[in-house]
Amino acid sequence: MLDANVLARAVPRWCAAMHAAAPELNALDGRLGDADLGATLDKCATLMEQALPVSPASPDSLEGIFKRCAQASAKASGSSFGTLLTVALMTAGKHCAGRELLSAQDVAALLSEVITTLSARGGAALGDKTVLDGLDAIQRALSGAAADAPALALAGAALRGSLDAFRDKPNRMGRARMFADKTIGLDDPGMVALLRMVEAL
Amino acid sequence: MKKILNDPQAYVDEMLDGLCLAHPELARRGEGGRVVVRRGGAVAGKVGIVTGGGSGHLPVFLGYVGEGLLDSCAVGNVFAGPRMDDCIEAMRAADGGAGVLQLYGNYGGDRMNFEMAAEMLELEGMKTASVRVSDDVASAPPEQREKRRGVAGLVLVYKAAGARAAAGATLEEVAATARKANDACRTIGVALTPCVVPESGKPSFEIADGEVEFGMGIHGEPGIWRGPLKTADALADEMLERVLPELAVSRGDRLAVLVNSLGATPSEELYILYRRIATVLAGRGVDIAFSLVGRYATSMEMAGASLSVMKLDADLEALLTAPATCPFWSVR
Repeated sequence: MLDANVLARAVPRWCAAMHAAAPELNALDGRLGDADLGATLDKCATLMEQALPVSPASPDSLEGIFKRCAQASAKASGSSFGTLLTVALMTAGKHCAGRELLSAQDVAALLSEVITTLSARGGAALGDKTVLDGLDAIQRALSGAAADAPALALAGAALRGSLDAFRDKPNRMGRARMFADKTIGLDDPGMVALLRMVEAL
Repeated sequence: MKKILNDPQAYVDEMLDGLCLAHPELARRGEGGRVVVRRGGAVAGKVGIVTGGGSGHLPVFLGYVGEGLLDSCAVGNVFAGPRMDDCIEAMRAADGGAGVLQLYGNYGGDRMNFEMAAEMLELEGMKTASVRVSDDVASAPPEQREKRRGVAGLVLVYKAAGARAAAGATLEEVAATARKANDACRTIGVALTPCVVPESGKPSFEIADGEVEFGMGIHGEPGIWRGPLKTADALADEMLERVLPELAVSRGDRLAVLVNSLGATPSEELYILYRRIATVLAGRGVDIAFSLVGRYATSMEMAGASLSVMKLDADLEALLTAPATCPFWSVR
């Protein structure tokens, strides 16, 4: 179950995890591209921490928190992953307008919309070995989850399964696309970033 | 890491401070000052040309803001695309009422932010066009040219489009010139050592002493092959073989040739490369009508070089040789 309180408490943990994961993600990205993925998420996290917390006297809504995070992310970076994060958070904010509580199925529906939007904006398709494939694995796990199932544990397991399934496939997007065969055996840095995000929640 | 800096997080902003102090014809705009414009502002009635991209490539991208070239630039962090708000601000700053051409390298973050910026400004009634430069032959096969990245060839495309805009052409004409220049341009790079992204503090890739990476991109993207370093002449020959066939260069053709340092490689070594390139071309009866040798598109302290060629017709040749001036380069 996701409500504004849960989300508000999750954002600082997400930010701390991005600070901690930055060196690992820079190194992973450096094997495939320009080594800025960790630095990008580190900057996004710093600005999100400044944008939150809100005063306990005026609790924010799901929509409000997502939009503030989106604005912070937009301010932090125009890199491809940073821009996709901004677009995902804006999409989540709009999706949550007027809603106070999301079930696991509701989160799955939100993720479907996020995947569609990111695919349209970024140009990747499912199967290209990008963060979209990680989101898709989580979406499928949550849409089939029982109401009382541990959603985050399911999401983490689905994501690890997706990393395993894609490890020996080639990347078909971004800089990694240019030497797709050399990416066989390597985890996609965006999917690993997503795993660190889910683990932090 | 061994870099001259104060704070890795302030690398871009302190660079911009210094650059605008040294070159008062440029000014910073936008929240955070991440838009570089000509101090005099947009030229009324002229098509504006806006570019943008990550930092770490000087003089690309922002160094080509100037007369006969570009009107504004949205500046990202090192190797990261510019923010959408800065793309919007840069487009407004370039708008002299005749429309704005977005002219930038074909990279995911840059594309997404410029596309979103154009969508926002078209809602306000601004006339926009967009051309993405894609000259790096190592970044995708010829049949997927639309996926290729923009590297040093950007400079030649900026020059052609900038001269067309300065001559009073319409937005459609300037965009068509940019497309034509991009279609006529190919680049290949070789790298000897990596660069260091300041925020990470580590080399962007590893390469052994005595090795060369042939085809590497300007962010350290792996290239076509890696092996023992060859002689300058052997590298020049192979670079020519990667760029000339795609342009069907033959006897009597006229070319623009840019031999560019990726940062650390000295001009001496560029001229050693140029010597061979000019000799081979002369042997094939191909004329070099326009030559540039130096640091035009870099990757900070990366050692290496790139060769860009543009196959010229009379129109492109006139555009490349028309007067232009910016902090790093002038054509008279």
